[in-house]
Amino acid sequence: MSDRDTREADVREADATAKAELAAEQEDEEQVEASSHIGAYSRKQAFALLKRLLAPYWPRVLATLGLMVCDIVGMLYVPTELSAMLNSAISGAGMDVVWRHGIAMLIAALVGSGGCIASYWVASRLAADIGRDMRIAVFARSLDMSTSEFATFGTASMITRTLSDVNVVQQAVLMTVTMVAPVPIVCVVSITLSASIDVVMGQLLAAVVVVMLAISVVAVVRSAPTFMMLQGFIDRMNVRLRESVTGARVIRAFGREDFERHRLNRTFDDYAKNAIRVNLVFAVTDSLTFFLMNIVEVLVMWVGADRVGAHAMQIGSISALVQYAIIILFFMMMAQFALIGMPRAAACLARAAQVLDVEPSIRDAARTLPAQEGCEEVARFCHASLRFEDASEDTLHDVDFPIMRGEMTAIIGNTGSGKSTIASMLLRLHDTTAGEVRVLGHDVRGMGLADLRAHISYVPQRAWLFSGTIAENLRHGREDATDEELWHALDVAQASFVRELPEGLEAPVAQGGSNFSGGQRQRLAIARALVRKADLYVFDDSFSALDYRTDAALRHALANELKDSAVLLIAQRVSTIRDAGRIVVLNEGRIVGQGTHDELMGTCGAYREIVLSQERGGGASDVR
Amino acid sequence: MSASGNEQERQQTQQGTGSAPAANRPTDPKACAKRLWEAARGQRWRVVVAILSAVMYVLFTVWAVAYSAGLVDLLWEGIKRAFETGTPYQLDLTDGGMQLLIYGALWTGAWAFYSVQSLVMSSFAERLNLQLRKQISAKLGRLPLRYFDSRQPGDTISRATNDLDKVSQAMQRGLLQLIIAATMLLGCAVCMLMYSVPLTLAFVAFSLAGAAITYFVSHRTLDAVARRQAVLGRLTSEVEESYSGRAVVKAFGLEGKTLERVGADADEFVCESAHADFLTNAVGPMVRFVMRLAQVCIGLGAGALVISGGMSVGVFQAYFQYMAEASGPMTELSLSYNMLQGALAAAERVFAFLDEEEVSADPEHPIAPAEPVRGRVCFEHVRFGYDPAHPLMRDVSFVAEPGQKVAIVGQTGAGKTTLVNLLMRFYEIDGGRITLDGVDTRHMTRQALRHEFGMVLQDTWLFEGTVAENIAYGRLGATREEVEAAARAAHVDFFIRTLPHGYDTMLTSDAEGVSQGQRQLLTIARAMLADPAILILDEATSSVDTRTEQAIVRAMEAIMENRTSFVIAHRLSTIVDADLILVMDHGNIIEKGTHEELLAAGGAYAELYRSQFA
Repeated sequence: MSDRDTREADVREADATAKAELAAEQEDEEQVEASSHIGAYSRKQAFALLKRLLAPYWPRVLATLGLMVCDIVGMLYVPTELSAMLNSAISGAGMDVVWRHGIAMLIAALVGSGGCIASYWVASRLAADIGRDMRIAVFARSLDMSTSEFATFGTASMITRTLSDVNVVQQAVLMTVTMVAPVPIVCVVSITLSASIDVVMGQLLAAVVVVMLAISVVAVVRSAPTFMMLQGFIDRMNVRLRESVTGARVIRAFGREDFERHRLNRTFDDYAKNAIRVNLVFAVTDSLTFFLMNIVEVLVMWVGADRVGAHAMQIGSISALVQYAIIILFFMMMAQFALIGMPRAAACLARAAQVLDVEPSIRDAARTLPAQEGCEEVARFCHASLRFEDASEDTLHDVDFPIMRGEMTAIIGNTGSGKSTIASMLLRLHDTTAGEVRVLGHDVRGMGLADLRAHISYVPQRAWLFSGTIAENLRHGREDATDEELWHALDVAQASFVRELPEGLEAPVAQGGSNFSGGQRQRLAIARALVRKADLYVFDDSFSALDYRTDAALRHALANELKDSAVLLIAQRVSTIRDAGRIVVLNEGRIVGQGTHDELMGTCGAYREIVLSQERGGGASDVR
Repeated sequence: MSASGNEQERQQTQQGTGSAPAANRPTDPKACAKRLWEAARGQRWRVVVAILSAVMYVLFTVWAVAYSAGLVDLLWEGIKRAFETGTPYQLDLTDGGMQLLIYGALWTGAWAFYSVQSLVMSSFAERLNLQLRKQISAKLGRLPLRYFDSRQPGDTISRATNDLDKVSQAMQRGLLQLIIAATMLLGCAVCMLMYSVPLTLAFVAFSLAGAAITYFVSHRTLDAVARRQAVLGRLTSEVEESYSGRAVVKAFGLEGKTLERVGADADEFVCESAHADFLTNAVGPMVRFVMRLAQVCIGLGAGALVISGGMSVGVFQAYFQYMAEASGPMTELSLSYNMLQGALAAAERVFAFLDEEEVSADPEHPIAPAEPVRGRVCFEHVRFGYDPAHPLMRDVSFVAEPGQKVAIVGQTGAGKTTLVNLLMRFYEIDGGRITLDGVDTRHMTRQALRHEFGMVLQDTWLFEGTVAENIAYGRLGATREEVEAAARAAHVDFFIRTLPHGYDTMLTSDAEGVSQGQRQLLTIARAMLADPAILILDEATSSVDTRTEQAIVRAMEAIMENRTSFVIAHRLSTIVDADLILVMDHGNIIEKGTHEELLAAGGAYAELYRSQFA
C-alpha cells in the first residue's frame, strides 16, 4: 500500500492543467460560438470528421495502445513483484529468491516507464499531426471558397476555426489517448492479476471497478455542461473588457463610466460564481475518490486477512492488491477530467466540419478556354445580374456595359449601390446569377481562374498589404520584376515617400500595412498593381484616402502609363472620374446612366445630384 | 489628410510606454504577497482554516501509516498463530478487526481534513480574483485617456484575465500544495529514519535525482512551450493575414504560395507542439521511473533485513508506503514554487495597473454654467503637448459663439483631433484656459462638461447588444419611438429594418454585417438621441457617400439650429458654409475666418480648396 499521494498529486495537476488550458483559450475573443451546445446532426458531422482525420493514423493509434499495455503491465507488476519479494523473505526463502524478484521488478520498471514515455511521445506526435491535417484542410478549403461562401462564416470565426478550435481538438485527442484509453486496459489487467493472486480478491476488485465506473459516469455527465458554460462566461468577460477598453472615449463622452463598470462587474460575478461551482465539483470528486480509497483499503485488508488465513494467498500480496485498487481509482479520475472537456472539443470539431462541408461553387470548368490576347473589348458585362443567396433583391440587376482597351471606364454611385461587386465579378470572386461577364473574349466561367486573374491587376478597396518588405509586397504583382521596375511603379503611384525611408524597398511592412498611413497604403497597393502587366486594371475606390492633389497627379501619371490597357475605376469623388471615357452611374444595383461627364450632366439626374452634392458651397458650381 | 489622423496623433504619445514583456519573476515578492493578503480581506479565515487542515491532514496520514506497521504485524501474528494451531482463521473485532477499523478511522480523519482544506479553498481564489477584477473595472473609469491611447487593448485585457488566472491557480493549488508537500516530506523523512537510517539515505539520494530531473525537464519544458507559442504566433498572423487579405490573395493568384507558407508553419508547429506536449507529460513518468528504481534497491535491502529478522512485515510495507507519500512532494515542491513565482509576477502586473496614475479629481465645489447652456466655447492661449517636453499647441485662441458651426481643417497630425481631446477634457491642457459659457471647464465636473457635448468619431464604437441598445446609449431610458426617430434622422432606419430582427438585432463584437458607413450612421443616431447643447463631428461621415452625407448634414442642421457645433472633415464641401473655419498646422491655428474670407485671403485654405476641386 503506497503511492496514494503521488496519485493524488497527479490528479491535482491534471485538474490544474485542464483549467490552464481553458485559461489559455481566453485570449481568443471569438470563442462565443464554441460554447454553444451542438445538435445531433453536427455531432454526427464531428464524428465523421474525426474518423476521416484518424484514418491515416490507425497504425500509430495501435502502436500507442500497445506501448500503453507495456506501461500498465509494468506499472502493475512493480507492486506485484515487491509483495512477492516480501512473501519470499518472510517464508524463509534465501536472498537469491529476493534478488530474483528484485530483477523482475527492475524489468517491470524499465518496461513500464519505457512504454509510458514512448507512448506519450507517439501520442504527442499523433495529436499534433491530426491537428496539422485539420488545420491545413480548413485553411485549404478557405482558399477555394468564393467570397460570399467565406462571408457566411466571417473572418473572425474562420480564424477561430483554423487556430484555436484545432488546438482544442488536438489537446482533446492527446488527452483521450493518454488519459481515457488506458482505463479499460488498467481495469482488465489489474482484475486479471488480482484474480491470479486469489479469485475472491479478483471479484472484489471487479466490484470496485463497477462502482467507480458508475460514479465516474454520473460525475462527468453532471459536470460537463457546467464546464462548457464556464467557457461561455470567459468569452463574455473578454468581450466586455475589450469593449470597455476600446470604447473609453465614447464611454467618457456619454458619461457612462458607472454603467460600464456595472456591466463589467456583472460578467465578473457570473464568471466567479460559475468558476467556484466548477472548483467545487472538482473538490467534491477529489474528496469522494479519497474516501472510496479508504473504504477499499480497509475492505481489502479485512477480506485479504481472511484469505491469507484460508491459505488462499500470502500476507504480502495485500499491499499489491491495495495498490491495484489505487491505480484503478487514479486512472478513472484522470479520465473524468479528460472527458469533461470532450463536449467542447466535439463542438470545435463540428465547427471545422461545417467549413469542410462547403462545396466551393466557383472553380475551374472541366475544360477551360484560353484568354484571347489583344482584344479591343477587354471585358463586357452582358445583362449581368447577381443575387446573393437568401436575399430578396438583386445586388446587381441587368448590368450591361463594355470596358475598352485604351479607355478609362468609371463607375460611380452611392454606398451600397453595387460598385465593388462589379470589380469582384470581373475577378470571378462572385458568379452572375443571370447574364454573363466576358473577359478577353470568353465568359469568365469558361476560363481558368488563374488565367483570368493573371490578365487583371486589381487594387482593392481596403488597401491590404502583407507583412514582409515593400519589395516583397510589390512582387506579389509579378515575381520577376526588377528593382528598377518596382521603383518605376512606385513613382507612377506617387509613392515617392518610399525613397525617403532609410531601408527603401526593403522597408518592413507590418501586417495589413498598419505601419503606413491610409494614403500611403493605397499608393503602395496601386504600385503593386502596376508592377503586373495586365490587360485590365481595376481600381476599387483606391483614391479615397489620397488628398486631392495627389489624386490628380496620380491620375495624370496613370493615364500615361496605362494607355495600352483598359482601366476600370470605381470612385466616390466626381473629380476623380470626370475625364473618364465612359462613366457608368449605378443606383441600387442598376445602371441609371452611362456616357461622358458632359453627356451625363445633361441626361442623368442621379449623376447631377452626386455632382452637386460634392460641389456645394460658394463659387463651386463650376470648378473647372 | 489621410483617414488615419487619429492614429498618427496618438502614436506621438506612445513612445516609452510600450507594454513590458510578461516577466516570470516578481521584482518584490514580499510586498506583492503582502498586498495580496490585503486584497484577501474577508477571505483570510479560509487561508487559516485551510493551512491548519492541511497540516492536520499530513499528521493523520503519517500517523495512519505508522499505525499500519503495527496493524499488519498484529494481523500476521494472528494468522501465524492460527497456522501453528491449525485452527481456521477468521478476522473479528477481538483479534485485530478493531485495530483495522481504527486504522480506517485514521484515514477517515486524514480524508476529512483534506476535504475541508480543498472545499474551503475552492472558492477562495475566485473570490479574491473577483475583488481584484472589480477594482480593475472601477480603475478603468478613472484612468486618463492617455493610458488607453498609448497601449494595446490586449495588454490591459490580459491583466484582468490571464494574469489573474495565474494568481487563482496558484492560490487554489500552489500554496496549499507547497505546504502539504513540505510538511509531508518532513513527517515521512522523520518516520523513515526511525525505521532504517541507511535505507532512508538511499531514498534521499534517489529523491534528489528525481528533483534534479524535474528541475531540468521543467526548464526545458518552459523553453519548449515558449517556442511553441512563438510558432503559434507566427502561424496565427499568417492565417489572419491571408483571411483579411483574401481579395488580394485571389486577385494576384497567391493561393499556392499562401498555402505553402501556412503549411510550413503548420509543420513546424507540429514539431514544437509535439515536443512541448511530450515534455509536459513525460516529467511524471521520468520521475516515477527513478522512484521505481528506488523501490528496487530499497526492496532488496529491506528484503535482506526481513530475512535477517531486522524488519517486520508491517514495517516493510509501512516503509514503502512512506516512500510513496514522500516521493510526490519532492517533485511538487519545485513545481509549485515555480507556480507561485509566476503568480506573484502576474499579481505585480495587476497591481501595477491598479497603481496607474488616475485623472485628477473633479473640483470639490464645481461650478456649472447657467441653464440652459448657450454653448459659447472659448479657447484662451491654450498650450498643450502629448509629451510635455514637446509641446504641440503653443498658443491657441478662438471663440465659438452660441449656435455657430466651427470647422477645423488641416493636414494629418495638424492637431484637429487634439482640439477635441482638450475640449472634452480627455487630456488636460498645460496652459491657458478653455471656457464654456464663461466657466473654466476645469472648474466643472467632467461628467457635467461632457454632458453638454455630443460626439461622433471616425472610429465607431458599438458594443455587443441590440441595435436599439446601441443607439439608446446616447440617453438612458429613451423610448423605442425616440430611438427610431433618431435612426430616421440619421438615415439608418431603413437599413436597420432590413436586418433580421430589426431594432432587436444583436450586434456581435465584429459586426461583420454592418459596414463602416452604417456603423457611422448608427453612432450619429446615438449622438442625436443624446440631444446635447454642443455637437462634435470628427470625420463622422468619412465612410458615407456624399449624397447620404448631405442628407445627414441637412438632418443634423435642423437639430443643430441654435447649437454650437465643431466639424472636422476632409471633404471641404461639407464645411464651406461654416460660420468659422480654423485652419490648423502643426498644432496651431494658422488661419481663421469664413469660407469667403479665407478664399479671398489666398492662403493655405484657398490652396487646399483649389486642390480638392481642380
